[in-house]
Amino acid sequence: MRQLINFKLRITFSVLAIVLLATQNAFAQFDVEKWSLADEPLLGFVAIPTGSFPMGSNPLIDPMAFENERWSQSRRQGIVDVPLFYISRYETTVAQFREFANATQRNVSASSLEGEANYPVTNVTWTDAVAYARWLDQQLRMASDLPSQLRRFLDEGGRVTLASEAEWEKAAKGEEGRIYPWGNQADKSKANYSSDGVVPVGSFDCPDCSFGLADMSGNVWEWTRSPYQEYPFDETNDRDDLASDALWVMRGGSYSDEANNIRASVRGAADPGARRPFIGFRVVITKQ
Amino acid sequence: MQSATKKRDFKSRSTKVRETSSVNENMPVIAGKHLLKIPSLFTLALFLLSFTSRVQSNDVLIYSFWASCLALLAWQGWLLKHCATQKTEKSFIVALKPQHYIQAMVHLSVYIYWGMNWQPVQDHAVLLIAQIMFAYSFDILLSWTRRESYQLGFGPFPIIFSTNLFLWFMDDWFYLQFIMVAIGFLGKEFVRWNRDGRFVHIFNPSAFTLGLFSLVLITTNTTDLTWGPQIASTLSLAPNMYTYLFLGGLVVMYFFSITLVAASAAMVMFALSALYFSIAGVPYFLDSDVPIAVFLGLHLLVTDPSTSPRTPTGRLVFGILYGIGVFVLYTVLDMLGSPTFYDKLLCVPLLNLSVQWIDRMVAPLRNNALLENWGLGVTPSKKANLVHMSIWIGFFIVISLLGKTDSRHVGDSLPFWAQACEEGRANACERLILLESTYCNDNSGWACNAIGAEYFYGNNVPQDTERALAYFSRACDLRFQAACLNFLDPSQISLANPRAFDFRLLLREAGQNLLGMPEDQLYQRACEHGWEFACDKSVSI
Repeated sequence: MRQLINFKLRITFSVLAIVLLATQNAFAQFDVEKWSLADEPLLGFVAIPTGSFPMGSNPLIDPMAFENERWSQSRRQGIVDVPLFYISRYETTVAQFREFANATQRNVSASSLEGEANYPVTNVTWTDAVAYARWLDQQLRMASDLPSQLRRFLDEGGRVTLASEAEWEKAAKGEEGRIYPWGNQADKSKANYSSDGVVPVGSFDCPDCSFGLADMSGNVWEWTRSPYQEYPFDETNDRDDLASDALWVMRGGSYSDEANNIRASVRGAADPGARRPFIGFRVVITKQ
Repeated sequence: MQSATKKRDFKSRSTKVRETSSVNENMPVIAGKHLLKIPSLFTLALFLLSFTSRVQSNDVLIYSFWASCLALLAWQGWLLKHCATQKTEKSFIVALKPQHYIQAMVHLSVYIYWGMNWQPVQDHAVLLIAQIMFAYSFDILLSWTRRESYQLGFGPFPIIFSTNLFLWFMDDWFYLQFIMVAIGFLGKEFVRWNRDGRFVHIFNPSAFTLGLFSLVLITTNTTDLTWGPQIASTLSLAPNMYTYLFLGGLVVMYFFSITLVAASAAMVMFALSALYFSIAGVPYFLDSDVPIAVFLGLHLLVTDPSTSPRTPTGRLVFGILYGIGVFVLYTVLDMLGSPTFYDKLLCVPLLNLSVQWIDRMVAPLRNNALLENWGLGVTPSKKANLVHMSIWIGFFIVISLLGKTDSRHVGDSLPFWAQACEEGRANACERLILLESTYCNDNSGWACNAIGAEYFYGNNVPQDTERALAYFSRACDLRFQAACLNFLDPSQISLANPRAFDFRLLLREAGQNLLGMPEDQLYQRACEHGWEFACDKSVSI
């Protein structure tokens, strides 16, 4: 009997602890004084160090790999060097986007501004996302109390923009090239996928996730600054094909996708004018 | 029904009746107490039209109809009470005048042909009928308020038709259309003068209200409440519209001897256009030698026999002044930054005001035998009109063979304007920017990117990076890849050739629907417009 009571108490405390932890994570702190960016020393930006990583998928390791993730006819994956850049820990939130919309009077969709403050912004076009990044770039440059690390990086040629495919994928899968940000197995406790809707950014506790980034898998697809082209990835040839209709890469899958679509290597693409309830974005500071 | 038909006893009527213009003794008169209810039948018809799906599709439209019905009913109620108190009767004088029904038939034929090629005209049909119902009710009530009789005929038809051939309001502002119609009739009733011993209206009713509303729309910068610009440009969607209008115009010319007005206006405009082109190397009007809506106007708006000069010479001068007036107004409006399609509307009331002066001015030519021989004296002659018509037919055939009417116009080609701009020809760069801006508004990503680049570099426009980025953003949303890259990184600006989708907008030549055109034909057309890369593409496809 006593054992049973102890067991129940342990269960109760465990549940309470999980709820407490989840509650803490569910409400990542943001600073309304600083464009509603994360209340962290680097305003929520996380440094991704210089280094190479395996880009694309190896079907021998990842049987869910799609054909468009193959590097070339002869190679399954490519090794890509990515110099130091900073990426936002969280997807851009409604509050952050609202600050931008209010400041610029840009004609954005009303539905993009309707959500709760700490939810990821959705129903944004690719151009909305780029415009937000450009605005944030100007704000950071003008700020007098910008963390010196970021100030130096900006002064040395960095700019706030969207991630390239390579930057995004490296940040998501890490240098060792995981299938998911936390490892090689799908895990519903670590990402919002196969669910009914978006959740506040950073809702899932994922200490194992590459570089401590939140929601790189699931929640919302994230726009990148890469036009959709066949691999091998090469950012220098982005302007080579101007005749085709524009299609821009988005990454990470969303709440409505299954495990196969939230893998770090999955390449989605959409019309730049598309506004969807499952597409958002996050920003980076890069010199590329 | 206590109505009775009787020959009109002219002498028994007051002088007020004589003021109502051309009434003759042979016109049948219908009188009786129950006639007072006739306007309510038109109002009822208007009310019933408010339940059609077309009207029900927009709340403002419904309320506009109901408010009009209410106003007409209130007026009718007052009139009934007034007649009962005064113990007076009202009557109809049946006056089926050819200048009304023939003009109306020509107008209607234009609507039908135009409507076959532009859907909004078909959508407008119910609203057109509603305006006719409103016009009848309003006109009868207005006449009966002022006098005992109303001339019942087809009078409201050409007024409504000719008004709507040039301007109609968007659904959300449609109550203004009823006001515009009402003002046309009020102008006809109240703005009168003594002309040759008769007290007649000065202004062509539709031209009066169109001119007045044009001024208001220009000064308040509210043209976008109307379909005016679309109307002006979509008439040419109907194939061979110039020839069609020319043929319809011949009917009007034959019956009402207005050949000198229309033909001289057209000839002056073609001549001035040719002169301008020979001097400047670019067309005066953007996409035609004489814009199609002006061509329509000079056949069916300015040619109202009762508001144009009586003498042939006067009509010749009247037409010449109209041609010059439109030509000058086009530039004046352009310089003021106003929509240029008002050019053909604004000068008609001014010309109407000058008809007596024109007739007086040409009076000294009364005894000029040479002019009389050419039918250009002061005595109208049916035979002379036929001679003038044959000259006009000959002229039209020649200019058509020269490609100045229904053929493709050099101003339709964007590469032409780009080249002309590069060569520094008059107004060419402004026209180029205007065209790019228009096509961008039509959702051509290519055009938005091109104008974005103009603003980015400050070519032909003041440099404005923010505006450039806004254009790139719009072009990118329209899936124009070069624009997306320009928006993302403006340190390097990319221009690219138009896509097939862009060509479907750029090559419309004033609005033809090219959405279903096969790509090979599209590129062939682009090649003819001067897009060199398209020539290779049309061959390869």
